[in-house]
Amino acid sequence: MHDDVDELIRRRTQVEIPAEVEDRLRRRLAEFRVRVEQRPPSRLRSFAYSLMSPPVLRPAAMTAVALAIVAAGLILVPRESRASQVFAAAANELKSAQSLQYTVVLNSDPYVGLDFAYLAPGYRRVNFSWGMEVRTDGATGRQILLMHGIHAYLNETGKTVESQSNIDDFSAQLRALPDRADDVLGEQWTGQQKLLGYRLSKTPPNGSIPGLKTMDIWIDSATREVHHVDITVQEKGKPEHQMHIQDIRVGAAVDRSLFDLTPPAGYSAFVVPGAKSTTAPAAQAPSMEVPAAISQTAEVAAVVLPMTGSYAQTAAALGTVSDWLDKKGVTPTGPPLGRFWSDQHWEAGYPVPAGTQAEAPLKVVTLPAGLNASAVVGGAWGKDTEARWGAFLKSVVDQGYVPAGPAVEIWSGEDGKPETQSTGMRIPVEKVK
Amino acid sequence: MNDRQQEYQRLIAPIEDRMMRAVWRVLRDSEDAEDAFQEALLTVWKQWDRIVVHPNPHALVLQICIHAAHDVLRRKLRRGRRLEAAAIPEDIPDPSASAIQTISDAEQDAAVLRAIGNLPKNQARAILLHAVEEVPYKAIAAAMKCRESTVRKHVARARTKLRVLLSHLIPSVPKEERTHA
Repeated sequence: MHDDVDELIRRRTQVEIPAEVEDRLRRRLAEFRVRVEQRPPSRLRSFAYSLMSPPVLRPAAMTAVALAIVAAGLILVPRESRASQVFAAAANELKSAQSLQYTVVLNSDPYVGLDFAYLAPGYRRVNFSWGMEVRTDGATGRQILLMHGIHAYLNETGKTVESQSNIDDFSAQLRALPDRADDVLGEQWTGQQKLLGYRLSKTPPNGSIPGLKTMDIWIDSATREVHHVDITVQEKGKPEHQMHIQDIRVGAAVDRSLFDLTPPAGYSAFVVPGAKSTTAPAAQAPSMEVPAAISQTAEVAAVVLPMTGSYAQTAAALGTVSDWLDKKGVTPTGPPLGRFWSDQHWEAGYPVPAGTQAEAPLKVVTLPAGLNASAVVGGAWGKDTEARWGAFLKSVVDQGYVPAGPAVEIWSGEDGKPETQSTGMRIPVEKVK
Repeated sequence: MNDRQQEYQRLIAPIEDRMMRAVWRVLRDSEDAEDAFQEALLTVWKQWDRIVVHPNPHALVLQICIHAAHDVLRRKLRRGRRLEAAAIPEDIPDPSASAIQTISDAEQDAAVLRAIGNLPKNQARAILLHAVEEVPYKAIAAAMKCRESTVRKHVARARTKLRVLLSHLIPSVPKEERTHA
């Protein structure tokens, strides 16, 4: 009896689609397919997949996930609008990105830019436009600074343009955007691209931009990827200013050789004396100026103890050299010094008269004559090492020079009396060609 | 091929033709069909993460297509548009048997669609999935998020209603039932 109704419906609905209509529908399908294939991955689903493997766990896992989703739906998660879904999708894509590259423009006039690249599992590369490059290897904890003079831009005030910690913060903040924005800003068009704007009024997780007022995130409505970020900063007592993160490339192929810690031709590797080799963001450098004096210096001979590893061994190394000099009746010609080739290769010792002979493990080295940059900073030895070397090197680059050899520190004053102590900074340099 | 491409190949590619036919069968109008199809694809997009893990994703996607098409059909009926307009040829060259048959077929198609359009949503979805798309009750239940027995009830009620609405097209329906209709 039922068959006659079913048969009638079946017979009356068995019709062919006209070719013209089929073409139109297939075009819709093709557009849809592109959108699906560009759709960012769902972390929730990945989690669900992981729960369902092996299959024996599937019923329990499905029940657990279903209960969790029902609970979240009923209690925790309000229904999301399409706008918030777009934001959440973009935030998720950044979180799961294997690589991330972008440019930070701090001031557009005069231009000061920083190119940043992140490559999982933890390589970072920051290229400061005024001639300094930082590379870190998250896996081994190694970090090098490279100096070059190709782009010697400086902002007009000559202040430190940005600390590495802030650059790392941008990366951390982009990769840790919350799932929801505080405000929706509406649409913006750039050529044929429709951008959807979202505003964060609170510092995102892991972020520490001083004086952050707003962070506006603009997302391409078609690809659901972050197009650019406008950051407004309002520090107490200072005028409001903006920073821009642009040219954002998520998951793009990145040349791994950029993260090679071997300096390329034309670059000078530079080790900050006393600085720890770590990928943890350094404390923000205090604003400091250390003018470098460029001059020709004479050759200096020194008896040193070759060292590797922690700089905390400096005092012990100097004690060894001092005892040997006392024993041999050699009088140092100046205060103790350290020369730093890399974090695994450094020397500590005393300048001595030319012609002095040494016995292993000590050795006699020569600080060659030539063009050197130098400065003396008062205060306790080892204090603000990274900040003062950063300021010193900036002064070197500012004057059109780049480092051409290992850094040397000379420690004057009395041990245990910081008020008497000062640190001489010296590094071979050459003029930028 | 990335994950999304694989998902599309698994979920949509095998039923692309069925999706288009499911919409066209109910609407028979190019603009309406395109609107309904677009609406269905939007729903599929929104529910993608659910579809990917669904035990019977093809049934779910077809159900979404039928639902979108039925929605448009109901709106059309509410607006009082005549379904016959698109189905009946305007120019009939001669009153031969084949031409008369064409008109008769078009009228019957329109009557069936009108009857389906007058069904409640769940009944229409259930009968179309079962009778036309030949989807098993169990899969329909999964797609409609209800029990299998509920689907059977929807189908039974749809049949009863259609039997009345289309009594003039079903020879086995007793005359008194046709009169009530």
